[in-house]
Amino acid sequence: MNYPKRIDLHMHTAVSDGTDTPAEIIEKVKQAGVELFSVTDHDAIKGGAIIKSLLKAGDPAFITGIEFSCKDSEGQYHILGYNYDENHKAINDVVNRGHGYRVSKLKKRLDYLKKEFGFSFSETDEKSLFALDNPGKPHVANMMVKYGFAPDRQTAIQKYINGFHSKSEYVRPEEAIKGILDSGGIPVLAHPVYGRGDDIILGEDLEKRVKKLISFGLLGVEAFYSGFTDKMIKETLALAEKYDLFVTAGSDYHGKNKMIPIGDTNLLGTGEIPDGLAKFINKISK
Amino acid sequence: MANQNDAKIVKLGGRIDSNNAAKVEEEVMESLKGTTSAVILDMSDLEYISSAGLRVILRVKKSHPDLTIKEVNTEVYDILEMTGFTEMMTVEKAYRVVSVEGCEEIGRGANGTIYRIDQDNVVKVYNNADALADIKHEREVARLALILGIPTAISYDVVKVGESYGSVFELLNASSFSKILSTRPEKFDWCVEEYVNMLKKIHSTVVPEGKLPDMKETVLDWATFMQDYLPEDAGKKLLSLVNEVPHDNHMIHGDYHTKNLELQNDEVLLIDMDTLAVGHPIFELASMYNSFIGFSELDHEIIKKFQGFDFETGRAFWKKSLAAYLGTDNEKRITEVENKARIIGYTRLIRRSIRRKGLETPEGKKEIEYWKSELLDLLSKTDTLLFSRNELEIAAEKESLSEVLSFIEKHLDDAGCPAKAKMQISIAAEEIFINIANYAYAPEKGKASVKVEINENPRCVVITFMDGGKPFDPTKKTDPDISLSAEDREIGGLGIFMTKKMMDDVKYEYKDGKNILKIEKNI
Repeated sequence: MNYPKRIDLHMHTAVSDGTDTPAEIIEKVKQAGVELFSVTDHDAIKGGAIIKSLLKAGDPAFITGIEFSCKDSEGQYHILGYNYDENHKAINDVVNRGHGYRVSKLKKRLDYLKKEFGFSFSETDEKSLFALDNPGKPHVANMMVKYGFAPDRQTAIQKYINGFHSKSEYVRPEEAIKGILDSGGIPVLAHPVYGRGDDIILGEDLEKRVKKLISFGLLGVEAFYSGFTDKMIKETLALAEKYDLFVTAGSDYHGKNKMIPIGDTNLLGTGEIPDGLAKFINKISK
Repeated sequence: MANQNDAKIVKLGGRIDSNNAAKVEEEVMESLKGTTSAVILDMSDLEYISSAGLRVILRVKKSHPDLTIKEVNTEVYDILEMTGFTEMMTVEKAYRVVSVEGCEEIGRGANGTIYRIDQDNVVKVYNNADALADIKHEREVARLALILGIPTAISYDVVKVGESYGSVFELLNASSFSKILSTRPEKFDWCVEEYVNMLKKIHSTVVPEGKLPDMKETVLDWATFMQDYLPEDAGKKLLSLVNEVPHDNHMIHGDYHTKNLELQNDEVLLIDMDTLAVGHPIFELASMYNSFIGFSELDHEIIKKFQGFDFETGRAFWKKSLAAYLGTDNEKRITEVENKARIIGYTRLIRRSIRRKGLETPEGKKEIEYWKSELLDLLSKTDTLLFSRNELEIAAEKESLSEVLSFIEKHLDDAGCPAKAKMQISIAAEEIFINIANYAYAPEKGKASVKVEINENPRCVVITFMDGGKPFDPTKKTDPDISLSAEDREIGGLGIFMTKKMMDDVKYEYKDGKNILKIEKNI
């Protein structure tokens, strides 16, 4: 079998905290020479349906994706889900629950900005924030810049928005994994070494985490990731082999919101791919 | 009159001129009676001194050779300087006092913090006690850099800031590259380009022997320190890798990150020159890796605090700059050089963490363990820290051609090569490389290397192609008879004929099992 040379299974559109529309992202995927891709918006599945409707013959191969932000008493996890049936009730239920948590967090966040700094937005603008599929920090920050409350998005987040802390509710990892499995998808742990994004978890700690998630039904690990060193890749691949897990590759592209290029996964585009990734591709190609 | 560290301090005030010189001398000599230790003349209250006064000082110096003059105001200092007194004895100026309270902090480095004191001026306040020596050193190296052609700012005054000292620079309407990157992301590519241009300029600057410290010595110290903390084999390997880096008399900045590059009007200026050294560029890359990634690898907030932009931006800036510096988009080659830089980068980070945080604190333990595991992995797969910016090693196959040509063209563009010569060189390079790809190893596979050098007097480009394939001298091939008509002409031989015609020199040699073909073109 000929495997795609460039693969990027982890990117965000404007449906969550990326900046590209689904149509723009297709163009950029093509420009970057990526032959197999997925979009994995945080707690949202809408982007996938739009992309499917836009793809033409000869375009890169696409599979549905999502990235759930999960938390339990032991920490935070980002769980990716691939190739699920987007009309299935199971995944929609988890998405809706996650969305509900985000909306209540947004409300608290806006109250905080108003109370602490006197920043308030027009009713129409507030409504547009709540109407987003996945309102997060960057959206509020952009609005603040628009109103002149902060000179740029970075300052808005660092100086004002990050001052807000609340005990937010999260989807639990076992709920996310079950939702993905029940709707026919493949649950994969995102950037395992980085935990929820910027920790470094290696060795026994990493193995413990992965083992726990496997007991919930986890089937894969994202061993190729933009920020990974050779050693992190090696260690994640070893775990994949030991527990017979699928392997995926993703950049975490966010458009203008993060400086990560599409296709930056540290998987060299030589066409040589590890077994776990080959198995993943075979599985989704069926 | 008081003693300070065993030195006898004598205060002089008011005016010393012909009217009172004799009296002042009598008083000073009286107070110094029996003093054999060092003498300090405190001139903080001295407003005026005439030649009669200077003669008093000269006689004090004769009877008490260990004489220092302190707290001299600018007018008196000018007189002492004009008359050569500043050469005969230590004369320290009285420093203007500047407050940085409420001033914007625009930069922070290992040795000090830079504040903007008004619209046109900034002051760099030094952290350490012996700041005057550091200020003098930085001023000297900045001056040296300027003479060697590096655009930089040179301090024009030394001031007292609280308990420490600062040096004042003129920096009009300047903003650092860090600030540009965090507030105007659309300028990212421009920043990369200018940043790399300056880096290449620094690294191509030859420094006269002995003028700047050798970075290799410092890195050897780090590697030696690490011997107690690494398994024996790994420690030895680290030490020998550093030892094998040859002495290099080209300049390196030593702390080259985006806070130390300023855009002033339309000019890009390099600042914070106190770490200037000479050495192989791999040492610079190591420090850059740490600035953009290493320091913040376990805590992404650090880079935000230090540079103002986020970790992903820092990482992207590093990757793009490294690619542009090496003149390649080949990910494998970029990672290879990055890994060499990381070996030195991690060595420094581990040493720093052991010294600052210790092996026992949870924070220190976590980062030391992480960096150490990465370092051991890197050491196990690295055989040399050397790399060459102007040499490309590549598979000897047709598919490599476009990379070879873009590599050569990038170097030609950097050297400002005229368009016609560039085209001719590209044609020649294509002929030669395709020859190697087709014949050198056939039917086996192998590697070739391409090296681009720009020489001066006369200015010319020299490109060296090397392969380990079958010995073959293309220059021996007889030239085709171009007077023949198309039907009678031979198909082959045109490529090398064109190469010989268009280049100023084509040389072949077979040495140590390698075909070495050199083409030269005056530009």
